[in-house]
Amino acid sequence: MTNTLSDSVNNFLYRKVSIAPLIMFRIIFGALLLFGALRFVSKGWVEQLYILPKYHFGYLGFEWVEKLPGDWMYLPFIVMIITAVFIILGYFYRLSASLFFICFTYIELIDKSYYLNHYYFVSLMCFILIWLPANRYFSLDVKRNKSIETTHIPQWTIRIIQFQLGIVYFFAGIAKINPDWLLEGQPLGVWLQAHHNIPLVGSFLQEKWMALSFSWAGCIYDLFIVFFLLSARTRKYAYFFVVFFHIVTWYLFPIGVFPWVMIFSTLIFFSPDFHEKLLSRLQKILTKGKKTFSTSRTETTFQPRRFVNFVLGTYIFIQLLVPFRYLLYSGNLYWNEEGFRFSWRVMLMHKEGHAVFYMKDKKTGRESEINNAKFLTRTQEDQMATQPDMILQYAQILKNHYDGQLLHYGDQKFKIDNPSIHADIYVSLNNRLSQKFVDKQHDLTTFDYNLKHRTWLEPFKE
Amino acid sequence: MLRLVSLIFLVSVFVGCKKDKDDPKPEFNKSALLTNVSEEIILPSIDQFSSDLSDLSTSYAQFVADKSQANLEVVQENLKTAYLTWQTVKIFDFGPIRTNGIKGAIGTFPSDTTVIANNIASGSYNLSSVGNADAIGLSALDYLLFKQGALTDFQTDPNYVTYADDVIEKMVTEFSAVVSQWQTYKSTFNASTGTSSTSAFSEFVNEFNRDFELAKTAKVGIPLGKQSLGIQLPEYIEARYSGFSFEILEESIRALQKVYNGVGFTSGVDGQGFDDYLVHLEKSTLDATIDNGFTAIINKTLTFNNTFEQEMAVNIPELDELYSLLQGHVVHIKTDMTSSFGVLITYQDNDGD
Repeated sequence: MTNTLSDSVNNFLYRKVSIAPLIMFRIIFGALLLFGALRFVSKGWVEQLYILPKYHFGYLGFEWVEKLPGDWMYLPFIVMIITAVFIILGYFYRLSASLFFICFTYIELIDKSYYLNHYYFVSLMCFILIWLPANRYFSLDVKRNKSIETTHIPQWTIRIIQFQLGIVYFFAGIAKINPDWLLEGQPLGVWLQAHHNIPLVGSFLQEKWMALSFSWAGCIYDLFIVFFLLSARTRKYAYFFVVFFHIVTWYLFPIGVFPWVMIFSTLIFFSPDFHEKLLSRLQKILTKGKKTFSTSRTETTFQPRRFVNFVLGTYIFIQLLVPFRYLLYSGNLYWNEEGFRFSWRVMLMHKEGHAVFYMKDKKTGRESEINNAKFLTRTQEDQMATQPDMILQYAQILKNHYDGQLLHYGDQKFKIDNPSIHADIYVSLNNRLSQKFVDKQHDLTTFDYNLKHRTWLEPFKE
Repeated sequence: MLRLVSLIFLVSVFVGCKKDKDDPKPEFNKSALLTNVSEEIILPSIDQFSSDLSDLSTSYAQFVADKSQANLEVVQENLKTAYLTWQTVKIFDFGPIRTNGIKGAIGTFPSDTTVIANNIASGSYNLSSVGNADAIGLSALDYLLFKQGALTDFQTDPNYVTYADDVIEKMVTEFSAVVSQWQTYKSTFNASTGTSSTSAFSEFVNEFNRDFELAKTAKVGIPLGKQSLGIQLPEYIEARYSGFSFEILEESIRALQKVYNGVGFTSGVDGQGFDDYLVHLEKSTLDATIDNGFTAIINKTLTFNNTFEQEMAVNIPELDELYSLLQGHVVHIKTDMTSSFGVLITYQDNDGD
């Protein structure tokens, strides 16, 4: 029994398949990476998001990651632009993919204020790309070293990409199964009504039934699209929906390159034939018709490798488990945000907060209201005001800033020693009136930043 | 175009599925709101401020010709009028007002009186330089026209006379650019109803919030010592020398309330405003909370009979109460109102997910 199971698993993973889809994916995804990096730089975000801010909010366990001084922050972006080109060309492919992954992930780790699910997706995909033989055909690496050229690869190298895409959709779908989304049509309702000036359809966008229709359609799409993409019979129609769905979201919401990443990445679900045709056409253009892709269909498998099986198994296990870690916490997930990130919860929350922080001098009992703009950018402040872990980190930033300072006001001087930091915070979630989020009574510096359930947040009231 | 077509297609699919349509909500349109605000509030207040400045300039010329106490009082009165009109104009820190840096050039307070005194003594200065950012605008004039012994200084020090003149003319010149540019910017503004952080509607909502927070912090909080361990900082009081700080505060909150309700600057007619948008979104209770909140703050400022500085010395609990009213109101407009509008308070062009 076990033998047959492991045999069929091995048959599935190591079946010889055409390399064409992987090659096209390398080129397409590389182009997306290049576009993304160029867009980021050209929008001036390197300076705005990474050079100008005085403080950054690191991830738990990665707070040691620091930004490079001043304009050196452009360096990882330059490296990314160059390595993205190299990935497209398949030039020093594995090194390029590794460098891109390292630079991209490094940048993301600097500040969680800018966390986006699709950045996390890109990081994971780049990590996967490092291990795939995506340079073994139609690449400059092959030109350098003919011996690595191959037309066939084990099937897992394609399936792992499909798996990662499938995870994004499927978990995004599961996350949408919640009362706010399905019963209230929120937060889509708030976002859609804001578009009521669009010609013809605008007036419908402010109707609740429209928000509900969009919500249900989005949920069903996310849950099932992968299965329709996997089936050869429905693939064409499914892809039409992919394009359509993402273009609509691109039009309505500020989600950057994400729609394009998904529209182009999902091409990986198409058949080897489809990709071979694409590849042949590319080859014709580039080699002036001398060479086109041709494979002989073989029904053999590669030799299974236990190490690969182990790594794949572990990776898949982790990916399936991480989005469910929120189950370890009590309380409202959207309010407390415990186990919220890295779980493909896309566009599920409309959260707005107002946070007033206080620095209290324990000796005199006097307190000062903090001007958040002195420490944080507006984006950071906005994010911090609704995210508990960032609130703690900010309290620590303030404490470190004021501790030991000699403050002069008029002719009075205060030597601040080990101040306490308090905050009065109100948050509105998914179109509800705002509620108290953090009470001023707590000295936020006394709470450790860890993964334990946070008891100092005010409970969420429906 | 492609995206618009897809959207129209998708919506018509849903519309097709929908059998009966329930009764429509009260009509509301962001474009109508923007048009009302620009036509009835922004443009009239800009015109008014421009004419206030020109009155100020004319009366100042008369005063220079005949430096009498009576003529000085006319100039002082004109400054006060302009100062009050400014409370409406300064809300709209986007478009031409932003690009010309008007809010900083005209409204920065408090003034650095040392810099002003040095400029006057030396007689040579460039008022547009960064170093003189705190030595210009309405606040500088408040000092020059109202400080102890101002009349004597005007009568005896020609540099003093020139300096006040330069400050006035700088405002007149710079603001005239705003008046003409708003005429062309108007159509852009009225049509920019999108939700991105760079759309006029978003900028308007964001600046409305910012202006309220600025009133709370700069006009009341900082002088009261809210950011300085409770140590009062009277040198930060707005219009400290003339002493009409409370009138300015009251007018600032009144202006914000009128903008909120879409009430015409000169006409006084209640047009489309944020209040109508909230009602349209079935949030009448929030609308009432916000409107009453503004009124409560205004009423509180009316209970003070002395200057801000005098009240600070004797009436801290009442001022604290005023401050809490302001503080509490921020949550209603910044968190509740803004989130209802689906406007991103990102203040910068960025991706979300």
